[in-house]
Amino acid sequence: MKVVNANEKVSIKLRINGKDYEDVVEPRKLLVHALRDLGFTGVHVGCDSSNCGACTVIMNGKSVKSCTLLAVEANGADILTIEGLEKDGKLHPIQEGFWEKHGLQCGYCTPGMIMEAYFLLKENPHPTEEEIREGISGNLCRCTGYQNIVEAIKYASEKMNSKTD
Amino acid sequence: MYPPKFGYVIPENIHEAMEFLESHDDSRPLAGGHSLIPMLKLRIIRPSYLVELKTLKDLQGIKKGSEYRIGALTTHYEISKSGIPLLSQTASVIADPQVRNMGTIGGSISNADPLSDYPAPLIATNAKVVVISKRGERSVPFDQFQKDMFTTDLSQGELVKEVVVPAMDGYRTDYEKLERKAGDYAIVGVAVAIKEEEGVVKDVRIGLTAVNNKAMRAKSSEEILMNNALSDDLISKAASAAVEYANPSSDIRGSAEYKKKMVKVMTERALKKVRK
Ligand SMILES: Cc1cc2nc3c(=O)[nH]c(=O)nc-3n(C[C@H](O)[C@H](O)[C@H](O)COP(=O)(O)OP(=O)(O)OC[C@H]3O[C@@H](n4cnc5c(N)ncnc54)[C@H](O)[C@@H]3O)c2cc1C
Ligand code: FES
Ligand code: FES
Repeated sequence: MKVVNANEKVSIKLRINGKDYEDVVEPRKLLVHALRDLGFTGVHVGCDSSNCGACTVIMNGKSVKSCTLLAVEANGADILTIEGLEKDGKLHPIQEGFWEKHGLQCGYCTPGMIMEAYFLLKENPHPTEEEIREGISGNLCRCTGYQNIVEAIKYASEKMNSKTD
Repeated sequence: MYPPKFGYVIPENIHEAMEFLESHDDSRPLAGGHSLIPMLKLRIIRPSYLVELKTLKDLQGIKKGSEYRIGALTTHYEISKSGIPLLSQTASVIADPQVRNMGTIGGSISNADPLSDYPAPLIATNAKVVVISKRGERSVPFDQFQKDMFTTDLSQGELVKEVVVPAMDGYRTDYEKLERKAGDYAIVGVAVAIKEEEGVVKDVRIGLTAVNNKAMRAKSSEEILMNNALSDDLISKAASAAVEYANPSSDIRGSAEYKKKMVKVMTERALKKVRK
């Protein structure tokens, strides 16, 4: 049994976008802050009540709100953030979709929105409009009115399917 | 946003977890963290230690026999995908995808938020909660497990091990959730399970959530339907009778009066959906 006291720190390992990182954190440190402090500042904080999804990352294959996890709890996890999506400077089809369909304005919700779309399309490669809207219901956007985000995800879905089919 | 300081415990096995929890009064188990961490961030609670449960094997997995034994750490996502009558449908409308990827059934019922979704199907199906501690295991009917809002039958050092739900073979079921927006807690939630033979109701269970301190069965609605055919007229009568089991409070989700009316509407919808 490992016991870390309130005034102590604990060392953790995270695999982020395919690279290994070590960090030393207080138990109370939130994963979102740990990720941002390690340089992944595409992960955003938009609320303090777990509603907005701006902090969404993929952890061990599932989308999670990194503001509602402790960094210590994520010890050993494999994490994908927006920074890990492009390959050799080439945009991921979801990133391309947001560009082509004007699915962003201020861009603050965009990293979280794209990571949730990534999870959605992995679970359901051919989502209907309704399934897309339900799939991103944990991600708030105050600029776009969502319409073009739905279009962007449809675009990505078609592009990703035409590649793999 | 920033939790207060607390210690953190990573047990090797469930015995260590139970031992530590029992000997540290204000320590708390950490499951999905999606009620606990939001409360820490608002500093509503100040536990001395959090005890991590996620690796404990005794609390994992779903076993199916004549009933479903659902490990406490099973996530809303996993339950939504596992084809359990009534419960899977309910799990699929809890919160949003990210929350469902982390939140667990054990955490949800231990937290006992009066607005949470699971209590409606759990009371309707006569589910049982298996509680484990240093002294062994005990099985508690869900109705006795939920004592009051945010209050359960658990004492310090006890953990929910699993939730046992009958297979409900031959039943038709539905969960109707009224919400302001996708991802929100229920304004009103109604779970229905019904068994018909030759067009006549042989068994019916109606569970209500979000309109009392804890989930309730609408017994007189059930009696109205028993041994009868589900005509529109009878459904409407039974749905009206459910309102007497609702004692909601007025809040940002609506007035008490509105919520009571919605109990009728949602019960009626659920009954019409399960009708053959
Ligand atoms: C944005 C948001 C929206 C939500 N919407 C809904 C909704 O619509 N419907 C709904 O029902 N819920 C909703 N929830 C709550 C969510 O379902 C939580 O995940 C759930 O209530 C708690 O489960 P958890 O595994 O996250 O538990 P935790 O937060 O880890 O724990 C909750 C409590 O239970 C205790 N505990 C945990 N596991 C055990 C165990 N095995 N034995 C004993 N005690 C234990 C903890 O110590 C703590 O006191 C929402 C949450 C968020 C953040
Ligand atoms: S910052 Fe809003 S949900 Fe995480
Ligand atoms: S683009 Fe501004 S919040 Fe979504």
